[in-house]
Amino acid sequence: MKYTQLFFQYAAQYMKTRLTYRTDMVVEIVSDLLSQAVNFIFILLVFGHTSMISGWSREEIIFIYGFFLVPFAIFGAFFNIWDFNERYIVKGEMDRILTRPIHSLFQIVLERMELESLFGVITGIAVMFYAGSRLDLTIAWYDPFVFVLLVLGGTLVYASIFILIASISFWSDSPTSIMPMMYNIGNYGRYPVNIYNSIIRFLLTWILPFAFVGVYPAAYFLGRENWYLYAFLTPVIGLVFFLFSIFMWNAGVTKYRGAGN
Amino acid sequence: MEKIIEVKELRKEFKSHSSRSGLKGAFRDLLTRNYKVIPAVNDISFSVKRGEMVGYIGENGAGKSTSIKMLTGILTPTSGAVRVNGMDPHKEREQFVRSIGVVFGQRSQLWWDIAVQESFRLLKKVYNVPDEVYHDHMSHVIDSLDIGPLLDKPVRKLSLGQRMRCELAAALLHNPPLLFLDEPTIGLDVLVKLKIREFLKEMNARYNTTILLTTHDLSDIEALCERVVMLDEGKIIYDGGLSSLRSNWGEGKQIEFQFADTAVTKETLQPLLAEMEAAWTPGGRPNVWIANVLNEEQVISEVIGRVVAAHKITDLKVHEISIEDIIRNIYEEGVKNG
Repeated sequence: MKYTQLFFQYAAQYMKTRLTYRTDMVVEIVSDLLSQAVNFIFILLVFGHTSMISGWSREEIIFIYGFFLVPFAIFGAFFNIWDFNERYIVKGEMDRILTRPIHSLFQIVLERMELESLFGVITGIAVMFYAGSRLDLTIAWYDPFVFVLLVLGGTLVYASIFILIASISFWSDSPTSIMPMMYNIGNYGRYPVNIYNSIIRFLLTWILPFAFVGVYPAAYFLGRENWYLYAFLTPVIGLVFFLFSIFMWNAGVTKYRGAGN
Repeated sequence: MEKIIEVKELRKEFKSHSSRSGLKGAFRDLLTRNYKVIPAVNDISFSVKRGEMVGYIGENGAGKSTSIKMLTGILTPTSGAVRVNGMDPHKEREQFVRSIGVVFGQRSQLWWDIAVQESFRLLKKVYNVPDEVYHDHMSHVIDSLDIGPLLDKPVRKLSLGQRMRCELAAALLHNPPLLFLDEPTIGLDVLVKLKIREFLKEMNARYNTTILLTTHDLSDIEALCERVVMLDEGKIIYDGGLSSLRSNWGEGKQIEFQFADTAVTKETLQPLLAEMEAAWTPGGRPNVWIANVLNEEQVISEVIGRVVAAHKITDLKVHEISIEDIIRNIYEEGVKNG
């Protein structure tokens, strides 16, 4: 309850800061929307040259990509922890975080939020509607709720993997180089996993479960019944990985060495 | 009186690897690393009572910051027991930090881009301070620190002195019974320093706030603290009153002579102080010599009389030995005469 209130306080403050620089704000929104539009066209162009891969049609692949963009955008808006090591450990900002009566990770989420990323949700949904209409998909009354649940699951998967990597910073000095690599691996979740060999598929399902951000949940909306089990595992995997990552984070905080001044 | 801080055998070790020399050494480092365990804080024990203002001093690397960070719940101790405000700072961190205020002089608590009052508003939410309590307490704090006109300015536009006063107000927003100040006056001008000292005294008198202060500026300690805890290489080397520090080590006086005649040397002055417990040291400027003597009327007048009779002087000053000198002496000689 208190955390929800705090969240809105911070979000309001964030908007206010943005609004004080009015021209910046307008330019930023326009450029964000433009870049999302470019993204959209780019996706159509890239996939325009493919037809069928491992039993997936072009529109289906576009649909999966569109779904992927939604949890990815939410992740981008709230989990900007890719520079956690430099910003909080090396510069010692973690000291300040730890002197406040709120969970340390939640404070970092609040401090680092970037709400503009949420525009990606619009693009994602637009892509899904575009692909969906070409596939003649129908929407049942409960589909929006399932959508929210699966998106949340996917977001948690993404978040937990990055929280886990950030937690390494508490023990070791140099996990930064892993971060960009993770962003790359994350992109594999956008494509149907059965196009990869079984080792990579296993990796993307159980070790770095990026497949739960894109292809598995999207399969539900595409009516691929043989994938339903995986689709509905999405929130479970999300929750399990998230709890595990929080556990590791909390363990890491006790190992925090502080920055020497 | 109840104890606010209780520390027993507190220890914090850091592991650091020492690299071997040369390229061959670097390859060997890849395989097996040499770790050295360095105790930054080495089994210290002390306690602080409610309402005390304690100066926590030591050279860089003496273990001040590390021990303060353990007291504030930022670092986990390697061994030993800490109870602060009746809680274990690290284990009950979120509950515990509500009962303390922290100011790190080199690090800002405030949000860089937003107005000071917005920062206060967010912190008020973070600490869950009720409206009435907030207005009551903060209007007083804002008045005494004289930061009213700064409230609608973003932090990045404030000068260091202005920012520091706002930091202090932010740390006291939830009116904590215990305040940790790490170098609160670093880089500040004299007027701001005085204002901050006045304010801290007032908080201590009004709310009986306990204050633990680390600083390199010993005049802060002299102005505020009755007690000092001195650290060296992770150990406490002195814990006691500031006044007894002066009476134990600062017994003497220094008489500074500026001579008119340029040919004065230690050799010509030495015979003047024969059979007295006194010594000459150079005064740092040409023709200035300092006689270090016992703090007794007879001795002082005798020394001045003899010197003035033998040489022409242009200036004369009598100093009490400063706390800074005393502390330097302690670090150089250890605590053997304590």
